[in-house]
Amino acid sequence: MATLDLHRISKSFGTAKVLHDIDLAIKDKEFVVFVGPSGCGKSTLLRIIAGLEEASSGKVVIDGADVSDAHPVDRGISMVFQSYALYPHLTVFENIAFPLRVQKLAEPDLKQRVMRAAEILQLTDKLKLKPGQLSGGQRQRVAIGRSIVRNPKVFLFDEPLSNLDAALRGDMRVELSQLHRELDATMVYVTHDQVEAMTMADRIVVLNGGRVEQFGTPMELYHHPATKFVAGFIGQPNMNLIPATVLGTDGGLTVEIDGGHRMTLPVDSSAASAGDKVEVGIRPEDVDLGDGGLSISVRVLERLGGVSITYGTIGNGETRFCASLPGDAAVREGEPLHLSVAPSDCHVFDASGRVLRRTAAPALVA
Amino acid sequence: MMDRYTKLQMVGIYIGIFLFLSFMLLPFVEMFVTSLRPLEHLRTTPYQFWSDKFSFDAYRQMWETVPLLGRYILNSIFIASMVTACTMLLVVPAAYAYARLDFPFKDTSLGLILAINMFSGAVLLIPLYRVLKALGLLNTYWAMIVPGIAFLIPTGIWLLRSYLEKIPRELEEAAYVDGASRMYTLRRVVLPLALPGLLVVGTATFIGAYAQQFLFAITFNQNRELQPLPAGLQEFVGRQQVEWNQMMAAALTGVLPVMLIFFFLQKYLVAGLTAGAVKE
Repeated sequence: MATLDLHRISKSFGTAKVLHDIDLAIKDKEFVVFVGPSGCGKSTLLRIIAGLEEASSGKVVIDGADVSDAHPVDRGISMVFQSYALYPHLTVFENIAFPLRVQKLAEPDLKQRVMRAAEILQLTDKLKLKPGQLSGGQRQRVAIGRSIVRNPKVFLFDEPLSNLDAALRGDMRVELSQLHRELDATMVYVTHDQVEAMTMADRIVVLNGGRVEQFGTPMELYHHPATKFVAGFIGQPNMNLIPATVLGTDGGLTVEIDGGHRMTLPVDSSAASAGDKVEVGIRPEDVDLGDGGLSISVRVLERLGGVSITYGTIGNGETRFCASLPGDAAVREGEPLHLSVAPSDCHVFDASGRVLRRTAAPALVA
Repeated sequence: MMDRYTKLQMVGIYIGIFLFLSFMLLPFVEMFVTSLRPLEHLRTTPYQFWSDKFSFDAYRQMWETVPLLGRYILNSIFIASMVTACTMLLVVPAAYAYARLDFPFKDTSLGLILAINMFSGAVLLIPLYRVLKALGLLNTYWAMIVPGIAFLIPTGIWLLRSYLEKIPRELEEAAYVDGASRMYTLRRVVLPLALPGLLVVGTATFIGAYAQQFLFAITFNQNRELQPLPAGLQEFVGRQQVEWNQMMAAALTGVLPVMLIFFFLQKYLVAGLTAGAVKE
């Protein structure tokens, strides 16, 4: 059992405020990913949870107990660092055993726990080696091993996969998800990679400029991004954002997007009025070939096999537009392309970047 | 490989190395040659590079001319070792604090510590004499050890601090998260990783201690039994004549242990001085 609650956490370095009143409630056994661009404060927030950094104000509560001033060990957390932070002069066994040595655990007990961790992580034949003799993925596993021997309540991961190459990263994602199921523990994971966030998280916290933009399940963030920022951050390739003007608010929102195409979109239009400047968000994968009013001039075409991704501009040529099309779509670079999109697939963001709630979008997945 | 030099460049490089090494090593050669010469040779002209009368006699006679010579050599090593041990005991925690902890006046105090190095020991001899006298340390080993430590701490801190700073902070954070105290982390993580750096600082301190003994010994110590080698060598200066050949022989013999230590530590020294330069 381990819930993790953050109450109004703020953090300033000198005059720079990097975290603004963060409130989060993380459930027991949940895998939560903090994601955001570099400098958004996600690592700082993790370090505050770990106890490596002190919050300027606010409380960290684990299992109902205020641990804001407690030592990391007393908080019941363990942490995996981006650089793995393995001790190069100690063997794999001693690296994993380190937290237990600190606790002065009796030798037989210590051995048994290290062996169990090594088994889970398939390191049993590597225990006598030094970290320098291991591959990146193996080092990563040793670092995880060191964090699990202590049976912490909450695991913290600080961009653990960013030093690995792409193929290995994919494997480790799967391994980490399995590990989460096996250990049945609460995990908080920091990354700047939205793919890691989408694939592993039960829920994602999107941070931007020291504030929580949105906290929800991956599909919630995908289908119902609360802000333009989340919309742009989640989903690959990024969502297209096209400037538009509101024409009417009856029975949805009627807009005219850059380039003159008019659409009536099923979103909550109660707060909008004619003449407002908005942005219409269209995911590259939501468009289809066919003349639906979107005319694109294609600049670059990437054929990935299964899909072809076109990069170009829409309307007056200043708004970029990316479309994800079938692999063998009859598209050529430099030629105009006509696309259509279902109004129910469109997102609308007001001038401040807040979303207008979609009324015809897929229901939230619990 | 980067060493793509033309023949001409190689010749130039070797000439450079030769000049450099001759400049540094010629005194030692002259020392050695002088130690082999019979005394009367020293004032003959023209200068003789070699003669049949050369012998190792001086290496035998020196023990008779200065009966305490062995003691002086041991004193030298003892004083230098004590200085090194005490300096390291003080330098390690200080360097770690400067490398890792935050405290008021950190940079100022570090600057002040370095400023000590701007004074040579000679400038401070008289004040030091008064201090040692007040402490009742004159004519003891401590009279030569304590000032030695004081003058070697600054360089030690600066050298070791920059070495400790290269040890990734995350290693210490990981240890902290795992419940290790600062001292435990220092002992189990930082110092083992800093071993090459410790060897470098330790050796540099030892050499420094060995070299600076002379000044402190002749000023703060009148006790013959406690004199280190550089001061003891004075005894080869007699009323009638100076036993130059024996003095040179004694000096070489005294330097020998240090040179041997250097040969064995060379590997570590080079590794230590370049450690962290390349990311593994």
